[in-house]
Amino acid sequence: MIVAERKPMDEIFQMLAGCKKVLVLGCGGCVTVCLTGGERQAEMLASQLNLAAKAKGEAMQVDFDSITRQCEKEFFDNLSEAPADYDAVLSIACGAGVGYMSEQFPKVTVLPGMNTTHLAANVALGIWEEYCRGCGDCMLAWTGGVCPIAKCSKSLVNGTCGGTDKGKCEVNPEMNCGWLMIYERLKELDRLDEYRTMRPLRDHRTDRGNGVRRLVLAEMTEEEAGDE
Amino acid sequence: MSNEPVSNLQRDLDSGEFVVTAEIGPPKGTNIAPVIHEAEEFLKGKVSAVNVTDIQTAVMRGSSMVGAKLLFDAGIEPVLQMVTRDRNRLALQSDLLAAHIFGIRNVLCLTGDHVTMGDHPQAMPVYDLDSVSLLDAMCKLEAGTDLGADMKGKANELDGVPTFFKGCCVTPCADEVDPQVIKLEKKVEAGAQFVQTQAVYEPKVFETFMKKVEHIKVPILVGIVMLKTAGMAKYMNRGVPGVVVPDAIIQRMTDCEKPDREKVSIEICGELVSTMKDMCQGAHLMTLGWDHCVPGIIQAAGLA
Amino acid sequence: MRDRDLTSADVAEFASPRELMEAEWAPCRYHCPVHADVRGYIELAARGQFEAAANLVRDCLPFASVCGRICHHPCEANCRRCEVDQAVAVREVKRFVCELTGVRAAVHKADKQDLAKVAIVGAGPAGMAAALELARIGYRPTVFEKFPVAGGIPATAIPSYRLPRDVIRQDTDWIFAHGVDFVPNCDIGKDKTIADLEAEGFEAVLIATGLADSRMLPLPGADHKRVLPVLTFLTDVSFDRTPDVGANVLVIGGGNVAMDAARTARRLGAQVTAMCLENEEEMPAWDWERDEADEEGVTFLFRRGPVEVLLDGDKIVGMKTRKVTRVFDGEGKFSPEYDDNDLQNIPCDTVIMAIGQTANLNFIEGSDLTADDRGRLTYDSATHQTSLPEVFACGEIVTAPGSAVEACASGQRAAKAIDLYLSGRTIQIDDALPPTIDKIAPATAEKVLKVERYGVDTEQPEMRITTFDEIDHNYDPEIAVREARRCMSCGGGAEVLVDKCAACLTCLRVCPFDIPVVTDVARIESSLCQACGMCIADCPANAIIARSWSPEEDLRQVAAKINALTGERKIVAYVCGHHSPATAWGGTLEDTIPGVVEEYLPSMSRLSAAEILHTLEAGATGVIVVACNEGADRYPTAPLRAAKRVEQVRELLDEIGLGAERVQYVAVADRGRAATREAMAEAADRIEGKVQESVESE
Repeated sequence: MIVAERKPMDEIFQMLAGCKKVLVLGCGGCVTVCLTGGERQAEMLASQLNLAAKAKGEAMQVDFDSITRQCEKEFFDNLSEAPADYDAVLSIACGAGVGYMSEQFPKVTVLPGMNTTHLAANVALGIWEEYCRGCGDCMLAWTGGVCPIAKCSKSLVNGTCGGTDKGKCEVNPEMNCGWLMIYERLKELDRLDEYRTMRPLRDHRTDRGNGVRRLVLAEMTEEEAGDE
Repeated sequence: MSNEPVSNLQRDLDSGEFVVTAEIGPPKGTNIAPVIHEAEEFLKGKVSAVNVTDIQTAVMRGSSMVGAKLLFDAGIEPVLQMVTRDRNRLALQSDLLAAHIFGIRNVLCLTGDHVTMGDHPQAMPVYDLDSVSLLDAMCKLEAGTDLGADMKGKANELDGVPTFFKGCCVTPCADEVDPQVIKLEKKVEAGAQFVQTQAVYEPKVFETFMKKVEHIKVPILVGIVMLKTAGMAKYMNRGVPGVVVPDAIIQRMTDCEKPDREKVSIEICGELVSTMKDMCQGAHLMTLGWDHCVPGIIQAAGLA
Repeated sequence: MRDRDLTSADVAEFASPRELMEAEWAPCRYHCPVHADVRGYIELAARGQFEAAANLVRDCLPFASVCGRICHHPCEANCRRCEVDQAVAVREVKRFVCELTGVRAAVHKADKQDLAKVAIVGAGPAGMAAALELARIGYRPTVFEKFPVAGGIPATAIPSYRLPRDVIRQDTDWIFAHGVDFVPNCDIGKDKTIADLEAEGFEAVLIATGLADSRMLPLPGADHKRVLPVLTFLTDVSFDRTPDVGANVLVIGGGNVAMDAARTARRLGAQVTAMCLENEEEMPAWDWERDEADEEGVTFLFRRGPVEVLLDGDKIVGMKTRKVTRVFDGEGKFSPEYDDNDLQNIPCDTVIMAIGQTANLNFIEGSDLTADDRGRLTYDSATHQTSLPEVFACGEIVTAPGSAVEACASGQRAAKAIDLYLSGRTIQIDDALPPTIDKIAPATAEKVLKVERYGVDTEQPEMRITTFDEIDHNYDPEIAVREARRCMSCGGGAEVLVDKCAACLTCLRVCPFDIPVVTDVARIESSLCQACGMCIADCPANAIIARSWSPEEDLRQVAAKINALTGERKIVAYVCGHHSPATAWGGTLEDTIPGVVEEYLPSMSRLSAAEILHTLEAGATGVIVVACNEGADRYPTAPLRAAKRVEQVRELLDEIGLGAERVQYVAVADRGRAATREAMAEAADRIEGKVQESVESE
């Protein structure tokens, strides 16, 4: 899932400066699942903002709402109040939600309440660890199912660097060395030849080197067949 | 490719003699002259080549290119260290061409410590290439093309083709050495012609490692990092991956009087080289600024 | 489990969140003949809201005080706590709250009683329950009773050491207060006929005369005047017409009435032998009744049948008995067999026949009512109607012999039938009940905090037989509260709103009982849910609601209490109430801290970080979360989760410059009132910066 975490409050205060009426909008997708951007978090952030405004003697009214997903236009129909009635909508969806909502409501100031960080699995209660970096060129088949892009802090593709120590990474002694994990896994699978093989240079166009990425499923688009 | 050596280092290693290299690091700032002077005074004529570190430990400083160029101009053969952390494939290839133009032939390919280890932790870590693909890129340049290709997929041709003596690193005392060995195999397959290792303080472990890499037919120079104090030794145990300083060595550093430290340190380095010289093809002395100790170590190792 | 998923749209349509509670009943309520909201009144008692608890009992149970003494309490037999340790002592808690409230119990009279007049024959539990229901609807019921007092068997035959007379009067007076007229000393069939009643303008008549006669055996010598029918004996004692029982009484019968007779005879000074066909296991009396009789010196003779009353002249000298070889046949039907070679004479001078009761159909006299060939009143159990459409029947006269609460249930049903009849509708009564919750699963039961059931003190046997005073003592308030807090709030727990659930698994991970199952969405099996509220507090989607409470409602009440504070200090202390005194929940504490509202919850497990923030929004200057220590809390991990939530809120407050010290956490609620009060006072000072916060050790 996509993990996002709430921005520092000072940044949020800065964004909302001068707003009299604000809607904190949660998203029922990934950010609900990672417990940072669901209806409850919207409720609590609204509560926090109301408390802060009251303490500062500012007249700011902060409401909250949440919709199923902010990255789908149909779900915006389920909003209880029109976004245009607010000076700003503070979205606590991931960046996709914030950006998409902003596009859907051109006259509404849609602000990001979150920093979108990574694609994660929920490895334990309260812990979401990165498992994928969306590089667009999945190589898990050759790396024993352990992603070198996500799990190696240097995203190396040809093996461990000299910074591996007792299974951990030089960057953070809490963090496992991704390449050692790959090595162990391949050994376990009796596929160490995959480690020995030289990997081709990465093509960063699939990652972020080629501008905006989009998935187009021709069979589902509304354009007539053969248009392209 | 011709088998003619492209550098003195290559020639020395080819000759089968025990080769010694040393290392300098450009300063943070423009005041590089003292470093070069010291190299001239203590290293010139004593060692086969001198490595110039590339933004070592991710702490910003003068480039390895400038250090290598100045050494070359001073008549000392440089080994240009190149890390893949800071430059993408365009910049790395470009710098390789520049190095050749400057007369630099020895290049040591490294991945490089992560930016978060250094003094600009916010910097973008690049790692577009890794040490293996950098070696591969050098081979391609030597073959007259770069890593790119035209619309038809035909590799871009170079106008003027460089030659290099290509090196790489390995950590012989890593707790998990097998993946290191495989990586070394890959580096050699990608074109590595010599190896300078991470610091070694355990000759026995090194011996085991050397047996494991017997099949790899490239010269290996054992890395020796000078210990300046017992505290530094302990720090290395704690903070430098794949380096183990045995207690006995730490004890020797602890036991000696402060004025004797340098002497003891030289002795230790000399003993280490002397113990391991029959296991490998050379030693790479990393004195961390104490270039003046290099002659002493060579002497203590019985190489002079 | 619900038959379909719940959505937020469903909840929006509910008139009251309590509708959720109606979807599925806890077994205590399900198995209660009158379906009293047992969980509800026990919870109110647990909160020290005794009067509200008593009123809730009386919503469904007219003979609340009586049942607080003598109910056979199927609620307890089916209590899901039986799988954990012992059933909640529902009857004792009920007795406590009803006794405390006494005649002050709320009376909600119908606005108008302008509907038809209805005559009710018999003021026992069935008749009185029917009268109450009819009065509540707006009918004008009159109860005719052959005895001078209302209450039926409980008032006339149940010995006062089990059921003091003023207890019965509490119930009957309360029923009369609803606009029920009472005509005592009027034996229908003798003093007046049913036809007379109809002539007097009663548009319907309800026969609720119960089983008023004692069953007798046609033994040789059984016509002797000292062979006493049990009801005659007990009634005479009740009305102080104390019979002469001689020195040596033989009670025939093994049921509860036999035990009453035996124990009553002991109190009259006689040696008493109780003889029955059954053995100790087979005899129908409750174990406790037999045990208490035993303690009081009643001698038991099992598996013997009476043959002949032995006379010496006009005196009874004994009973000839024979051995019983079996009581029930292979199918469990009553079919005794005897060994006539094993005869034994039991010496006695008085015999009490307590082998069952039978209906008295004297009221048929002068009416067109009919009886069947076995002498039973003609009756349709579906409509309660007899052979006359306007004459109805209910209670033991038409049902199997049962307890007071069962008679009440029958009376209530008959009242419905009468209402349908008199309002010209078809008498069709829907007896369908919501499903009940299954037994608690062993794995869950294991995780429930064990709490020993609190017993009531009972008088010593040697004291008991000297008096007709009540032998069971009442709880004191603290014990009543503690016992009530043993209730597991079955069916009051979590419901998932599937449209909001993101299947994030948080509920599954925080549940101390491992109840939630998450497939496409989370599902929480009500039969397993322990209603701790942990998942509700931690759900990121606000997708879980509670059946038995609403955080919004709780917050409204807290807001009102904050507003009522007049000083600068407006602090809310959320206190884990599991170990708190009754006066705390009940709001009658005498040592409250000025400016501190104490809000009690069953555990801090249900208090969310959002609620703490909202409390501050509602005007509180600070919040103190007073948890129990781990292990003392009724729910595992609750103190830990509460501490974490407090830490979270403190960080959120710190971020907005309000100061983390506004929210304090103390784990002290299980250490007694004095320690709790002291900790709260100190925390309040910390909130106001009067005391420096100690550095967190976490």
